[in-house]
Amino acid sequence: MALLTRFELFKLRTVRVTYGLWAAVAALGALFTAIEASRAGATGSGVAALSTAAGQSIVTTTTSWSLLFAAVLGVLVASGEHRHSTTALTYLAEPRRERVLAAKALAAAAGGAVFGLTASAVAIAIGLGAAAGAADPRLVPASTLIGHAAGTCLGAGIFAAIGVGLGSLLRSQVAGIVTVLMWGLAVESVIGGLFTSVRAYLPYTAATTMAGIKLGNAAFGPAHGVNGGSPLPFAAAAALVAGVAALLCALAGATSVRRDI
Amino acid sequence: MAVIEFAALTKRFGETVAVDDLSFDVEAGQVVGFLGPNGAGKTTSLYMLLGLVSPTAGRASVNGRLFKDLDEPLHAIGALVEAAGAHPGRTARNHLLSLAMLGRAGSSRVGQVLELVDLGRAADKRVGTFSLGMRQRLGLATALLCDPEILVLDEPANGLDPEGVHWLRQLLRQLAREGRTVLVSSHLLGEVAQTVDRVVIMAQGRLVANTTLDELTRLGGGPLGDTRSLEDAFLALTAPGATAGTGSDGNPATTGKGVLTPLGAVPWGVKKWRS
Repeated sequence: MALLTRFELFKLRTVRVTYGLWAAVAALGALFTAIEASRAGATGSGVAALSTAAGQSIVTTTTSWSLLFAAVLGVLVASGEHRHSTTALTYLAEPRRERVLAAKALAAAAGGAVFGLTASAVAIAIGLGAAAGAADPRLVPASTLIGHAAGTCLGAGIFAAIGVGLGSLLRSQVAGIVTVLMWGLAVESVIGGLFTSVRAYLPYTAATTMAGIKLGNAAFGPAHGVNGGSPLPFAAAAALVAGVAALLCALAGATSVRRDI
Repeated sequence: MAVIEFAALTKRFGETVAVDDLSFDVEAGQVVGFLGPNGAGKTTSLYMLLGLVSPTAGRASVNGRLFKDLDEPLHAIGALVEAAGAHPGRTARNHLLSLAMLGRAGSSRVGQVLELVDLGRAADKRVGTFSLGMRQRLGLATALLCDPEILVLDEPANGLDPEGVHWLRQLLRQLAREGRTVLVSSHLLGEVAQTVDRVVIMAQGRLVANTTLDELTRLGGGPLGDTRSLEDAFLALTAPGATAGTGSDGNPATTGKGVLTPLGAVPWGVKKWRS
């Protein structure tokens, strides 16, 4: 299994799209952190001043893009094989398809964790840099920052595995990417905005809370910043998101992965 | 000893029978041409052998085992099939290195096979920039990477220019001299005739011939009358209406040049349809 995972990691490292997504995670993270930092303390912005721990916590956790891009990476790892007709070659090298699926999920999870780490590093650097620029001292403990970064890595890693399960199920790159983005940017925002009591149980939202993002702050549109509900404890959120990944991969392993090439 | 076995292999796609009760063996060290018109079921049969398509009935095995049960498939069997492409964004070298890692072939072997297929100078170019012929050569390099004793090549001459076809012929001869077992499907009958020991011909999903090249093209006295070349025999056996379905004894029958040849009644190689 380790060799098969290394094989999938090597494949991931040797195509440009991986680096393109990685760069996009860093660029979007920088852009949105800079926007949040510039709005910090302004009336109606919803972002507390950088002179407060709450404000610094918000700007140093502008990492939700990394979750979505990790899922997109996972979709590409799985459905890209079908798009480029490389599935058969992979199965000629390792005919036990469930093992291939598991190795893809592990390799994508490693890539997703790197995305999460990158997003956290960028957000912390820019967020604390903005605070320092305003002569505000760091008010968020280092242990908290590390915890948020670790949560982002874990959440992004699991989301990449979700992407592998989804991509394997759909076998279409476009359908997989659209599903990820629609789910993260629209479906959960709408459901979470309308039913605040259940939003902590939505997988993308749960993953954002693992990253230290305030419940509701990763939502888009009118639902952004809507108060209500409590985030799941870290372990429960991680278990929920991992359960979704396991369910999708199991479904794919029992259905689409077994199909004829 | 049979290293490749097709035993009553059948594949149906809905109402369509793509492969119908296919049975034949390939002995160790033989180079076997696998022929048939488009849609005859050759590729589907090879895909079932390679575990890429599930049979509806029957079994295809390599060294007595299903492909999925092979311990080191890359070492046991090298395959060139259309569906097994390379990622266009990856270089040829990295494409092979990834598989060499999985097959524990070593990076030096990657250089060797790249040189063998004359892609040494293009090794670090992305596969997306390759011509069809170059991709075909890369596919052959992939098949040869782990030095397998058995090769399954589905239309290896596709996309090759005349020089490439000449090169492929030399390669197949070299593989034969090395004692490897090769099952090669091709539309280039002239090339097949110069290379193979045996010929297996399919039409409309059924086996219509499994014999040596000499027997198939024997002048006079053969059941195909005055057949003189592989092409003549191929056309006679695969022409519309040539496969008559079932003979009087319930076995597959073939008409060609007016000859009806129920299985088991033919005194030459074609009778070995079912081994």
